[in-house]
Amino acid sequence: MDRRTFLRQLVLYSLGLSLSAPRFGVAATGAETAGAAELSLVSGADYSAVVRRALQLLGGMERFVRPGASVVVKPNIAWDRTPEYGATTHPLVVKTLVELALQAGAGEVRIFDHTCNEKRRCYVNSGIADIVGAIAERRVKLDYIDSRKFVEVKITGGRSLDSWEIYRDALTADCYINVPVAKHHGLSGLTLGLKNVMGVIGGNRGRLHHGLAQKLADLATVVRPTLTVIDATRLLLRNGPQGGRLEDVRQTDTVIASADPVAADAVATTLFGLEPERIETTVAAYQMGLGQMDPNQIHISEQRL
Amino acid sequence: MRTGDRAAQKPLYRRLRLVRMASQLGFLLLFLFLFVNTDYSGSDTIQYAVNLLFRIDPLLAITAMLAVRAVIALMLPALLLVGLSLLLGRFFCGWVCPLGSLVDGVQPAMKHGRRRQTTLFPGLAMSLLLVVLVSALLGLPLAGYVDPFSILVRGLAQAVYPASHNMAESFFTMTYLHAPAWVNQITEPLYGFLKETVLPFERKYFALSLLSLAVLAAVFLAEAVQRRFFCRNICPLGALLGWFARLGPTGLRGGDDDCGACRLCSRICRMGAIDERRRIDPQRCSLCMDCLVRCPRQVIFFRSFLPGSRGVGVSLSRRRLVGTLALGCVIPPMLGVRRLTAAPDPLLIRPPGALAEVEFLQRCVRCAECIQVCIGNGLQPVLLEAGIEGIFSPHLVARTGYCEFNCTLCGQVCPTGAIRELTRAEKHRTKIGNAWFDTDRCLPYARGIPCIVCEEHCPTPDKAIKFRTVVMVDDLTGQQQEIRHPFIVDELCIGCGICETKCPLPGRAAVFVTSDGEMRNPDNILPRKGETDQWGY
Repeated sequence: MDRRTFLRQLVLYSLGLSLSAPRFGVAATGAETAGAAELSLVSGADYSAVVRRALQLLGGMERFVRPGASVVVKPNIAWDRTPEYGATTHPLVVKTLVELALQAGAGEVRIFDHTCNEKRRCYVNSGIADIVGAIAERRVKLDYIDSRKFVEVKITGGRSLDSWEIYRDALTADCYINVPVAKHHGLSGLTLGLKNVMGVIGGNRGRLHHGLAQKLADLATVVRPTLTVIDATRLLLRNGPQGGRLEDVRQTDTVIASADPVAADAVATTLFGLEPERIETTVAAYQMGLGQMDPNQIHISEQRL
Repeated sequence: MRTGDRAAQKPLYRRLRLVRMASQLGFLLLFLFLFVNTDYSGSDTIQYAVNLLFRIDPLLAITAMLAVRAVIALMLPALLLVGLSLLLGRFFCGWVCPLGSLVDGVQPAMKHGRRRQTTLFPGLAMSLLLVVLVSALLGLPLAGYVDPFSILVRGLAQAVYPASHNMAESFFTMTYLHAPAWVNQITEPLYGFLKETVLPFERKYFALSLLSLAVLAAVFLAEAVQRRFFCRNICPLGALLGWFARLGPTGLRGGDDDCGACRLCSRICRMGAIDERRRIDPQRCSLCMDCLVRCPRQVIFFRSFLPGSRGVGVSLSRRRLVGTLALGCVIPPMLGVRRLTAAPDPLLIRPPGALAEVEFLQRCVRCAECIQVCIGNGLQPVLLEAGIEGIFSPHLVARTGYCEFNCTLCGQVCPTGAIRELTRAEKHRTKIGNAWFDTDRCLPYARGIPCIVCEEHCPTPDKAIKFRTVVMVDDLTGQQQEIRHPFIVDELCIGCGICETKCPLPGRAAVFVTSDGEMRNPDNILPRKGETDQWGY
């Protein structure tokens, strides 16, 4: 083969390769109406014990994590704030969930978030880099978002979105544990589990903010958490989602866990003294059959430690 | 010394030359290590003295101190290099300077044949040095444009380094998406390793990247004209060190009349320091040791100068000296009559902690350290917004990146104090500009579409972006609707620009920052409601 032929073939091959970029399909889920939901709500000063009990009341982490499973723990690490400001998920909650997943035999546990402030600052100052780093276990990986892993996903059941770029690891995990922190938000009222999807999507995230509630519900048809654990140990009541003033934070020492993302959000809303119907995202997701928000259909196991 | 003894010296000379090469490599690696570590590393304070190179540079130290007419403590380490050069000569150029070492490194790739031996513009570097010094004295900073480290770091930070990230990312994206699994088993860990060690953490974008690269590339390409072209003909730092070397007690003794027709030393000298009569000029000699090793007679060796036996030296003619001084005197007054002096560009937003504009420009050595370390990719080199003498100085361009609220790195790496080092609390209070809404573009104003992205990102604990709820009539349907219009609270806004960066509109943002209200300029104050100040607002 002479040089010219080689170069020509090289160009053709690369062209072929780039045209055959992988497409990603996710089966849309969500029935017309959701069934009854199980939910645990536990309070106490020892957050590690609180998380363990919340999981126990749902039947244990083994219900969600099969031996060898790939697990994603997705906290909210969006902001460069320390834990006391209530803008990011409490590191102890994250750590305990990682430990529970390991005990249940997880093959690997990945932790990541698509941050708003500079990634490294967020990971460090949220306390999550340190606490995850201290878990001496090869199966645990704290990842920075890798732009190569965003894949265009068709949202077949979407009412407002046709497709969006979603982080591959969040889609392919055997068990996806969504661990938002409960806080105030200027547009959606509150940011809870359904809004935490912002941390696993790419594209122009700001563009989603027009008609946010329906778009979040649409995304919830393809990003389906196996388990939602809402960190309500502190509630950021004002100036959310970023906060920055301790007087805006109320300590509530509570954790909510459920396999039903809508029910978890609905119950968390009541902690703020609000009716679940006030949060449009919850309503939109409920109407799409993605979960339960009818209080009569949510079975709450409540405990105070 | 008899000839036989001299021949016995050859292994010693060889060893000396090896030490010189090792020194070049070592300092080059040290430089690259510091360069790569000019970044956030998990701690709010920078880990190493990453700006060391700029702080031992006597050219930058003298010009900055002349310009501001004060001693800049940060730059006093430059005295060390002055002292060593007085003692040892221009060793820095041959043994330490990373740009010199890199230039030596590309040397084998350049054609040898037709290159000139004698220095093309023997007086130019010294003239440049004089112009730079005189104009610095008159308040015009030029050193940063000709200083070798500024040229090197600017070119690397704004072009070569980000481009290396771009290349690596493209390559490993290709393997990640298309290569078989067994390839990825090798490439993915390799990519991870490179990212953790040498590659930039994030992809960054820079204005003037091509210009920065062109200046640096020119230094390398000039090697085709003659060896160490930049060092011999242009580098004013080299000229300054050479001047110190001339005053010093040591140097090399060249050949003599017994050499016959042999002028090998003069021909191989990379600095053009050896003339036809084989005299070695300490003002140019970088002590590379090549001639010691190559000399067939082994007659070249160190000697100490006796009074009156100084080498040839470069000196400017009187006419040239006067002309150079005059040029240095004329430029600064010319710049004072430009329109920019009367009305500065409102988009010239300097980093937090930047001194007032005049002193800021006098101190800034265009080293790009702040631009490189800026983790938000907010700082960009200026083209003409600060006047022609402001080119390559830093400003915030908030559409591409913003000033991270809790970050104080730029003030920590600035080698001259042009950007003051701020504590985190000071940084939170330092207003570098003010944000404004373009209500013709902003969705809630212009279209009645709810949007809060700027408010969500606003980092001040009491948000500088707030809402007022208004009733709007929809243009299309005529129906009334309630909508929240964002507005800026000037007293809370610090001008970080995250609102402009994150504004989801395509193209021009609907919220943008200007330098209005910046704390470093008392003339730039914004009116306050309910107060009457000296301007009668």
